[in-house]
Amino acid sequence: MAAFARFIAIRFGAAVVVMLLVSLIVFTLMELVPGNCAERYIAYKQTQGQVITEADIRAEEVRMGLDRPYLERWVSWVSGVFLRFDLGESCLWRVDVAQLIGDKIWISLGLCFAALILTYAIAVPVGMASAMLRDGWFDSSLRIISYLGLAIPNFLLALGIMLLSTVFFGETLTGLFSDELRDAPWSAEKLADMLSRAWLPILILGWSATAIQLQTVRALISDEKDKLYVTAARARGLSGAQLMMRYPARHALGPVVNSIGFDLNRIFNDLPIVAAVLVLTDAGALLLDALARSNDQQLAGAIILLLTATIVALNFLTDILLAVIDPRVRKGFF
Amino acid sequence: MTTSPDPSEAYYTASQSQLVWVRFKAKRSAMIALWFLMFFVLCGVFAPFLSPYDPSAAGRNADYTNGAPQVPMFCDAQGCAFTPFIHKVERYRGMDTNFRWVTRATDERVYLTLLPKGWEYRLLGVIPMKRHLFGVEEGFIHLFGTDAQGKDIFSRTLHAIGISLAVGTVGVLISFVIALIVGGVAGYFGGWVDTVLQALMDTVKTVPTIPLFMAFAAFIPDTWSAELRFALISMILGLLGWGTLARRIRTHVLAERTADYVLAAKLSGASSGHIIGRHLLPSFTSYIIVDLVISFPYMVLAETALSFIGLGLKDPVNSLGVLLQNVTRVDVMLNYHWYFLPIPIFVLMVLAFVFVGDGLRDAADPYSERR
Repeated sequence: MAAFARFIAIRFGAAVVVMLLVSLIVFTLMELVPGNCAERYIAYKQTQGQVITEADIRAEEVRMGLDRPYLERWVSWVSGVFLRFDLGESCLWRVDVAQLIGDKIWISLGLCFAALILTYAIAVPVGMASAMLRDGWFDSSLRIISYLGLAIPNFLLALGIMLLSTVFFGETLTGLFSDELRDAPWSAEKLADMLSRAWLPILILGWSATAIQLQTVRALISDEKDKLYVTAARARGLSGAQLMMRYPARHALGPVVNSIGFDLNRIFNDLPIVAAVLVLTDAGALLLDALARSNDQQLAGAIILLLTATIVALNFLTDILLAVIDPRVRKGFF
Repeated sequence: MTTSPDPSEAYYTASQSQLVWVRFKAKRSAMIALWFLMFFVLCGVFAPFLSPYDPSAAGRNADYTNGAPQVPMFCDAQGCAFTPFIHKVERYRGMDTNFRWVTRATDERVYLTLLPKGWEYRLLGVIPMKRHLFGVEEGFIHLFGTDAQGKDIFSRTLHAIGISLAVGTVGVLISFVIALIVGGVAGYFGGWVDTVLQALMDTVKTVPTIPLFMAFAAFIPDTWSAELRFALISMILGLLGWGTLARRIRTHVLAERTADYVLAAKLSGASSGHIIGRHLLPSFTSYIIVDLVISFPYMVLAETALSFIGLGLKDPVNSLGVLLQNVTRVDVMLNYHWYFLPIPIFVLMVLAFVFVGDGLRDAADPYSERR
């Protein structure tokens, strides 16, 4: 048990180090944006008719703490984010980033995790079936779908579905809420409205991850199913689903669990672009807006950091899960 | 292979690349994909010659904006002809159109011509030319229709193929060089150098790529020229895309560095750089090439996504993403479906790359024949 606790501690330490490195990268990126928050704020004031001098900009910089050295500001940003959940202040909107992101990040994470669950709910059983029926028509048609998953990025698929739906049903399928409920406070009705519209973004976010995961599961199972231990089990009279679940499936479980983090990464990749295509109002759209239009580095940095933190946390959890379910992994560490 | 009289002898004396090629040729899907790929590369390289009009605003047809595709035909109500033709369009305004200008087709025929003179360009960037593959006697021909400004979508698509291939090539080359250095150093020296570089690779891989691309691309000021933008976008794609390849190279070098021939080279007094560059890397060139081909479509798709949301390339440089920038508008969705014509072409191009990459990977694997 002590060894297991040590394993968890080591993994946790590694995750913290990765997060620190990521935050340094993100922070550097935010710093590289030409012009800082103070200048932008003052420039805004100037458009409102106030006369602004160089001294005003410097005073504003001091107020925001921008005159302190780079590393010091990074430390205060990181400690703010991780210890106090304080994401800083948005450059453009002059409010807390946390308030701005608010429930949007939860909607985004909800969509992404739903897409992740969908990915595995489809890829694992279908991939296993494909490996068992290798080289049949079922397998070949699945391979074609997998190749299409590689060649059609999610946003092109979204465009295609929207085009068909506009032509045949006169409905663009965009947005997460209907017009009446968009600005209404959260209620059971609004939630039901969102869920009735969320299937398309979830499906599209999960599309290429599903296609790739399908191929992985199929390759893993078909590698395992001809090995001697499977033949031995078959000789003992096992067959069909029982044979699959007892032997090859358990072997293939490790790599599949390991790839969950990568798939979440893949799904996050598409978040801003799918948001743009489907006109969603989630964190992806906010990120796109912060980067493409308003140059709001605080907001963009906070969103990228939150997304990466989710991936790192998930990787940490799957590592532990793997050690719990796979005795070979445990052996390596104890 | 043909030089040797005995075929069984030829198998054992064949070089690595000959063996790979023989295995590759045996796979039909990969060969078909290779032909498609070559076709697309030629399309991209000779885009100015193949396209009848300048893809930028300079070549626009102001009288035929949002115009439908014009398909050349051999027969119409007046009979058939040996030369393909299209029907001439005219601008018209009258009682029946509520005195608004409309563009409508007439019965008058305009025949297609071969190698007419058009806008001036430089073939392969050097040879000045005015001739294009095809055109019409008078007026314009738009095989894929036109966009809101009257730019020819067929010409834009051809140029976009070229640009996408160029972005992918530059991006892949940059990431290749970085992966070679990082992976080679990490694998060869091992120890703490390896640990630090591995941690770096892992970290870069953890951050979602497209948001990171977006963050980088957001730095490029809007005022910079389209060409500079193109160079920078390719660089960004290359700078962020080396993680997977570096890891592979590291694994190979790590496995090979204890081999006898490396020890022999070391004892002969060769430097580390010489051993990595001259002995270790050539031992798995085929794997590197395969990985480069496989990573190519991802570069192209990343560029498409960036341009689509307005952070990548911009007019007048064409790429699939630039072409698709306006298609989410409802009027386009409802009325101008030819805006979507470039999509199937690009899906084909990416598919061709994926199949060639898969075929190469199987062909480069010496154990694939046993299966």
